[in-house]
Amino acid sequence: MQKTKTVCSLMLFFVMVILLTGCWDRGELEDKSYVIGLGLDRSKQEGKIKVTMLLANPEVGSMQGGGGSTEKPREIISFDANDFIAAKATANSVISRSISYDLLRIFVVSEEFARDPMFPSTFFEVLKDKEIRLNSYLAVSKEKAAQYFLKNKPRMETRPHKYFQFMVNHGIENGLIPDSTLFRYFQSAERGTDLFLAMYTTAIREKNPKIKREDEYMAGELNATGELDDTQFIGSAVFKNGVMIDKLTGQETRTINILDDTTNIKDILVNIPDPFSSSQKQFAARILKTQSNKVKMNLKGIRPKIYITIPLQFEIMSNPSRVNYRKEKNRQILRKHIADHIEQMNEDLLKKTQTKLKGVPYPLPLFAKKYFGTIQEYKKFNWGKSYLRADIHVKAEIDIVNYGKQTSRPKKVGE
Amino acid sequence: MNQQPGKLGIREFVSIAILMVGAKATEDTPAVLFRQVQNAAWMIPLLSAGIFFIPLFLLIKTMSLYQDKDLFSVIKKLFGKYLGFIVCLFIFIISSFAVSYDTRTYTNIIRSFYFTTTPNLIIYVILMVICAYGAKKGLQHVGSVSYLIIFYALLSLYIALGISTQQSNIQSMFPIWGPGQLEIIKLSSQNITIFADFFILTMVIPYVTSNKVFKKGTWIAFVYVSIQISVATLIFICMFDASLAGYAYPFHIAIRFISLGDYIPNVEIIFFIIWIMTAFIRFTAFLYINALMFGQLFKIKDFEYLIPSLTTIYLLIGIIPESPIDITLVLKPLIQNLAGPMFAVISITLWLVAQLKGEFKHAKNKNSM
Amino acid sequence: MREKISKLWKKRLNTEPEFNEQSNTEVIELKKQDISTSYDQNLATFKTLFTVPDNIDVKVREFTITSLKRKGVIIFLSTMADIQAIMDSIVEPLIDNEHPSKKIPDIVSYPIASTASNIGEITEYITAGITALFVEGDDQCYLFETTKISGRSIEKSDNEVIVKGAKEAFNERVIDNISLIRKKIKNENLLVETKPISKRSRNNVFIVYQKDLVNEELLQTIKDKLESFEIDSILDLSILEQILEERPRSIFPTLLYTERPDRAAAFIEEGHIILLMENSPGCLILPATFWALFHSPEDHYLRTPYGNFIRILRILALFVAVFTSPIYIAITNFHVGMIPPDLLMAIAGTRERVPFPSIVEVLMMEIAFELIREAGLRVPSPIGPTIGIVGALILGQAAVQANIISPIVIIVIALSGLSSFIISDLSMNFAIRITRFLFIFSAGFMGIYGVTALLIAGLYYLVSLKSFGTPYFAPMTPHSFSSKDLLIRHVPMKEKFRPGYLKPKDMVKQRKG
Repeated sequence: MQKTKTVCSLMLFFVMVILLTGCWDRGELEDKSYVIGLGLDRSKQEGKIKVTMLLANPEVGSMQGGGGSTEKPREIISFDANDFIAAKATANSVISRSISYDLLRIFVVSEEFARDPMFPSTFFEVLKDKEIRLNSYLAVSKEKAAQYFLKNKPRMETRPHKYFQFMVNHGIENGLIPDSTLFRYFQSAERGTDLFLAMYTTAIREKNPKIKREDEYMAGELNATGELDDTQFIGSAVFKNGVMIDKLTGQETRTINILDDTTNIKDILVNIPDPFSSSQKQFAARILKTQSNKVKMNLKGIRPKIYITIPLQFEIMSNPSRVNYRKEKNRQILRKHIADHIEQMNEDLLKKTQTKLKGVPYPLPLFAKKYFGTIQEYKKFNWGKSYLRADIHVKAEIDIVNYGKQTSRPKKVGE
Repeated sequence: MNQQPGKLGIREFVSIAILMVGAKATEDTPAVLFRQVQNAAWMIPLLSAGIFFIPLFLLIKTMSLYQDKDLFSVIKKLFGKYLGFIVCLFIFIISSFAVSYDTRTYTNIIRSFYFTTTPNLIIYVILMVICAYGAKKGLQHVGSVSYLIIFYALLSLYIALGISTQQSNIQSMFPIWGPGQLEIIKLSSQNITIFADFFILTMVIPYVTSNKVFKKGTWIAFVYVSIQISVATLIFICMFDASLAGYAYPFHIAIRFISLGDYIPNVEIIFFIIWIMTAFIRFTAFLYINALMFGQLFKIKDFEYLIPSLTTIYLLIGIIPESPIDITLVLKPLIQNLAGPMFAVISITLWLVAQLKGEFKHAKNKNSM
Repeated sequence: MREKISKLWKKRLNTEPEFNEQSNTEVIELKKQDISTSYDQNLATFKTLFTVPDNIDVKVREFTITSLKRKGVIIFLSTMADIQAIMDSIVEPLIDNEHPSKKIPDIVSYPIASTASNIGEITEYITAGITALFVEGDDQCYLFETTKISGRSIEKSDNEVIVKGAKEAFNERVIDNISLIRKKIKNENLLVETKPISKRSRNNVFIVYQKDLVNEELLQTIKDKLESFEIDSILDLSILEQILEERPRSIFPTLLYTERPDRAAAFIEEGHIILLMENSPGCLILPATFWALFHSPEDHYLRTPYGNFIRILRILALFVAVFTSPIYIAITNFHVGMIPPDLLMAIAGTRERVPFPSIVEVLMMEIAFELIREAGLRVPSPIGPTIGIVGALILGQAAVQANIISPIVIIVIALSGLSSFIISDLSMNFAIRITRFLFIFSAGFMGIYGVTALLIAGLYYLVSLKSFGTPYFAPMTPHSFSSKDLLIRHVPMKEKFRPGYLKPKDMVKQRKG
């Protein structure tokens, strides 16, 4: 009996303790305000940064029936702070709830700030915060990040977390923007041998953009009209040692994504010049990448040689010159043409990375490692310098799985 | 009513051994190894296992001469009363400190990754209370519980590692020799502390159904654990590449990063549950063994009553260092560099003394008679 | 102050209280004696013992036995004995038979008869409904088993409902119960032993087992345990269950109580021991493991894949019943990042207008659910359960509309409440429901860490539980030989062994070929 009583009173005690004091990490989830996007800008004052927070309002769009709320779906707040971790507390002077980075999906850094040599030291603080996950994305905006969030007014996905989730995911699947998670940013910065690509975005459309081919645009250059949001995600910003140095267009980004096996692009729709037509007609094709690239290197000698084989599957979607693909000869011409086209495109781009970017924007140096026995040898080889001298040969293995529907030429009247 | 201590079967023994030693893959060991030998870190567990195999083999051989005797009684028998006592005391002190600092490390992990504002002490006390409760229930029950959860523990580890491989690049393991063959071998011999727990596990021989079971179980667990740690390290190397050096606890970074598609983006809690369960089991077993050592050392028969007080002492030692950095940088390396080689030396000396005293011949004669 | 109170408590509890009791040594002494040859003395003795004529259902019928020309008397309890049978086969022959014969058994035609001479013994028999015949000049009393007690007939099992398989259940008459078991095991090795376990109301317990299977040591332990306590009366098997258990205060049961004879027979065939009692519509199976409590007979009646399917459902239900509410609390209060963003937004949106913290919310609903459940059980009509469910639905709906509870909590509670119904064993069911509350508190205290800590502590506790020396999770751990009928069962052809933890005399129940 004595024992039971003690046990009972102890249990009662614990229950009381639990109910009254269990609140170190506890917090009701409606008590928090969730930051979906975090914008970083250079501040006017030296040593400070300008932080912009995009906060989601949970009440909008989540109530099924019964009194939908008239509140706005988001709140945006910008202010100057020393870093974005302590900024959580500062923001509370404006926002009624405690700020949480649990749902943080995207960091938007203005191009101006990203090119600042101080940027990496500020940005590395991400690792210190336990709420920020390494699978959130890094994007570079053409304008100021504060402005970007203000201008970005999605029409369909009014809830910001959904908008960024869909936008980024489909962009990556199409290959027009790189898979720029923080994880990859830090990995590449830590390795120091390759460049990192971050997605490029803007909410301001250029006034009179030129009309280019399907994927040669940068963000802001696509001249879309109608009732829509001005925000565009296309192209990428190149980071070297954590600092932005250059930009790549959508097409270049896509090429890099095909070269890079670590991103998971799905099927890509492209336009390729038609070999059978004299005028500048192009046909549409779907590229499927089912196998990994094969990379071979010969790193001895002054000019290292790199051989890259890209296996690609093609589905021809359109046939503007109405060629008959039943003929083996036509097929061969097409295959050869596509291979030439892809090889040319890749080699041009890699040439550009050697001369202009002075580094390879995807983890190609990893493939070089296996040709060395020890780290010392690898360091002596010095990839960063050797790459600039390297001879790169790209070979495309084209496999056309589908030539599309065969349509016969519509008969002209009077023929 | 009749709660007499039962004996550990092979399943239970192997589960305890795997959970005790295999857990090293999920704490700071991979990162520590990576800092030492970079991308060849995955070889170290295998090579260390190879090196530690010799003393362990000799130790088990020596131990098999004495049926149902634990390590301390064998040491006392072979080294004499006084020298034996000193050696035993030394082993006890080292393993005590190891327990204190290991539990503290786990507390730090829990605090820094999952409960950032909870006081360290609360987390620590809960950990120790549960372990003390389990240890007081007896080794057989610890074995049963570890057998109940080992499948889930291993399965979740495989799933976590499996998903991690999606984000990783096998090329990161090259250059294959890392900083050079010589360096690797040198550091492997230093890192045999990874397997020092197997040395301590010989304390539980009287609680295992038979010597044969102990022998078989130890080898199964030994081989499995060395492979598991090696594979885990390899996957972390491939996933994090050079940045692995910067992360203290790669397993936790990895489970925070991986996701099951867009709709379940964060799954670390699922793995955390299993991980913390294995941690509880691990320290329960450690506490029990330490209490056993203490009981042997000072001839206390009902050593199970010592467990609460021992736990309190470990807890007090564990909270002395103020910051987690003290532990990982100063104290742990100290024990790590000391424990493994010392245990290896003790094992070999034991065998030599037994050889000199002619114990092996005695045993043979006994058998032939 | 506290010390004083505790001292007072100790004083009151530790000493046996003294009462002014009336001594009944006279009666006890009397019961030890044998009956005398004097007819009148015997009659007087029993009349005082049974307080005739105040005791209205004790009937004393005096007559003259025609053939012997001696006086005789029968004493019986009219409420316990079959009066028709007494009249037809005892009284009538005695009075009518005119053939000169010396022996009573030759005259009386009643089939079951014996003799006794001890007064106490005879008294016991009479209270059990047996008719006692005293004959002038005889130093023995003739006893006829005329017991006829009214009770329920064999009915369908109410609490352990299955779809496929035998439907009959034990009732309150132990004779019927034993015959139900005998009907299933037609073997001379099936033993039914009886043992009185209480002194005053003389309750008997029936030990049923297979002689050539059961482990002698186990049998002896159980018999010793049954003899070890001195209690005036144990009216029901469920009280015996509590007395027999090693840890009566434990949340988890260690004995299996079932009302299904088919289940009892199956366990006897495995080498278990069954206890039955008069007046109890069920039996106790010892020793019982977690698996025995967790399984349902239907698992074996259904085809293997279906049986395993419901097993998996049940284990899932077990986890859902215990862990949904704690995990909901842990995740929403501590590990917000775990919830998919859309769901998080939805929960946060609906919780905005709820005035209570989520742990209070969950506790409120859990308690409401338990109330409804208990009330539904006590509503004295078959529509009880319906009212319960309707009540729950309306309560939930209204609570949500009144902004007291957020809708997701209703889902959580409904799920965990429904799942708890799947655990069919009553004791296990209670255990699960109580542990759920413990887990809710631990989740509110330390989130997932608290839940896991409690889970591990609980596992340590469960593993250390024993039922008559059998570990709770045997034969899984500690491992022993068995036909591996644990979470998943094999096809019946593969189940070749009896569970090894029982150490039965015959391990193999199915041989090859």
